[in-house]
Amino acid sequence: MSIDIRNISKRFGNFVALDNINLDIASGELLALLGPSGCGKTTLLRIIAGLETADAGQILFHGEDTTDKHVSERQVGFVFQHYALFRHMTVFENVAFGLRVRPKETRPSETEIKRKVHELLELVQLDWLADRHPAQLSGGQRQRIALARALAVEPKVLLLDEPFGALDTKVRKELRRWLRRLHDEVHLTSIFVTHDQEEALEVADRVVVLNKGHIEQVGTPEEVYDTPASPFVYQFLGDVNLFHSRVHAGWAEVGKGRIAAPEAPDAPAVIYVRPHEIDLSRVASGDALHGEISHIRILGATIRLEVDVEGHDGVEVELSRERYQDGGWQVGETVFLTPRTVQVYSNPQ
Amino acid sequence: MAFKQASVLPGFNLSFGYTIFYMSLIVLLPLTALVVKTSSLEWGQFWAIVSEERVVATYKVTFGASLLAAIINLFTGLLVAWVLVRYSFPGKRLIDALVDLPFALPTAVAGIALATIYAPNGWIGQWFAPGSVLGGLFGSEGLSLAFNPTGIVIALTFVTLPFVVRTVQPVLADIEQELEEAASSLGANRWQIFRLVILPILWPALLTGFSLAFARAIGEYGSVIFIAGNMPFKSEITPLMIISKLEQYDYVGATAIAVVMLGVSFLLLLAINGLQWWSARRLGRRN
Repeated sequence: MSIDIRNISKRFGNFVALDNINLDIASGELLALLGPSGCGKTTLLRIIAGLETADAGQILFHGEDTTDKHVSERQVGFVFQHYALFRHMTVFENVAFGLRVRPKETRPSETEIKRKVHELLELVQLDWLADRHPAQLSGGQRQRIALARALAVEPKVLLLDEPFGALDTKVRKELRRWLRRLHDEVHLTSIFVTHDQEEALEVADRVVVLNKGHIEQVGTPEEVYDTPASPFVYQFLGDVNLFHSRVHAGWAEVGKGRIAAPEAPDAPAVIYVRPHEIDLSRVASGDALHGEISHIRILGATIRLEVDVEGHDGVEVELSRERYQDGGWQVGETVFLTPRTVQVYSNPQ
Repeated sequence: MAFKQASVLPGFNLSFGYTIFYMSLIVLLPLTALVVKTSSLEWGQFWAIVSEERVVATYKVTFGASLLAAIINLFTGLLVAWVLVRYSFPGKRLIDALVDLPFALPTAVAGIALATIYAPNGWIGQWFAPGSVLGGLFGSEGLSLAFNPTGIVIALTFVTLPFVVRTVQPVLADIEQELEEAASSLGANRWQIFRLVILPILWPALLTGFSLAFARAIGEYGSVIFIAGNMPFKSEITPLMIISKLEQYDYVGATAIAVVMLGVSFLLLLAINGLQWWSARRLGRRN
């Protein structure tokens, strides 16, 4: 089912949580709402679910206005960060809850409920836990049960609020791959909220980057990563080095070197360079930035060097392990930096 | 020691020993004295005292009225706790403080106040008196609120109000909003959410409050005697029987009745505790 979000605004006192948000979500899409805490992403999700009411604007499900519908009538599945499982019920009863509370006319028979719950528990691969209580499960298991419970009512939309936020890194990675596979199987329109860019880029079909109640950019993971629409998106989607300079005739001077900025106008500018998109050399070339290695940090497969460039201390350069070993870099060495790709933003505030 | 479990906290022996000593000194010793005093009676004499018709009638009044008062507080206490936790309104703190007042008030003062208000010519009692507006609804006799078992229930309800409120309040405040939101998104209506999600979580606390209120009501004396009317076979409570025996210097008779009360109370509280343990188990807290 498609969802249209039209001119949604929401304030909490003087704080503007959402400012005139417009967004179309296609049927069967897996969409990520990405942003730092306080950017309004959870508020937007809760407004779509009907758990919160917007001050202005409309939510359309499949072209039909649902703005004034109560959450219990919207047929949305909602998954909470802290699972919100009913702890006095077994796993089976938790999943069956949505079926049992239906009015008598539409309530399935007991055998039908049983069949359905076991089917869902098999889908989340936890059928063997049916008789346990939530307290006896691990975090990852609980979240999968919460998902099965949300799916039991055959929702038209699945909404997940930081679903993996409370889990440790390893379980998180497993679960997000599993969620992606699950979505490919059931093809339910799904929206999930996250502050983790890696998670959003890995799982989603499209990513919506939010900041301070505004949408900064909407696009596929490649689009938002490769062509960020604003400095904020660039910074939020990974580590970045900032060079403050002034563009003059297509070049920005940094220390004794310069960076090419062919399309930028002559004005003050901030130049963004990702740490893994910088080449290191011991030989000075015409434009390369001069620097001295001040720290070397070994982060497993990648090595991060900090290089002090004139006017910009602690520029980060990331190398693969092989390239680091081939180069034999040492702390204190003088090196020359050449950025491979840069993003120039003129007239920064 | 066999009961001792490995723990990072030191001082098990000391604290366990202190607990046993303290409980013995404060609780067990006086109760033992009670039983010892009673044991000076022959079995036949004991039975004659405790099964005297007038005394048996007081057991019924005391346990019946206490049970009724505790049940009333189970509902009204939950309601008060609900309002205090879920809504914000002007004067909320004041009402919150008022809840504890029945504890602070000397019970005799409470008794006199209640008797004055609920007597047939009192502020509330007059509305239920024979021939009055509301009293007419209950027939030509009206509804008598004081000087009968109804008065006893009123006094006990007043005195035991804080128990259920204070046990339920923190548990209710701790229930995550997300649980209700989850239930709501699954299609449950408000009543289903209350019955299937909230009530099971509150149940152990409600039972605790109920048993505390019940236990307190059984032993209540001061607030009851002024409003009870103290008519033999009708509105006499067991503690009154004990006092009147004491006034006649019949110490052994008084302790005999006290032992019966103690035994019955103990059994009832044990049963409620069992129920509580069972419901906590069902909540998945202990397994």
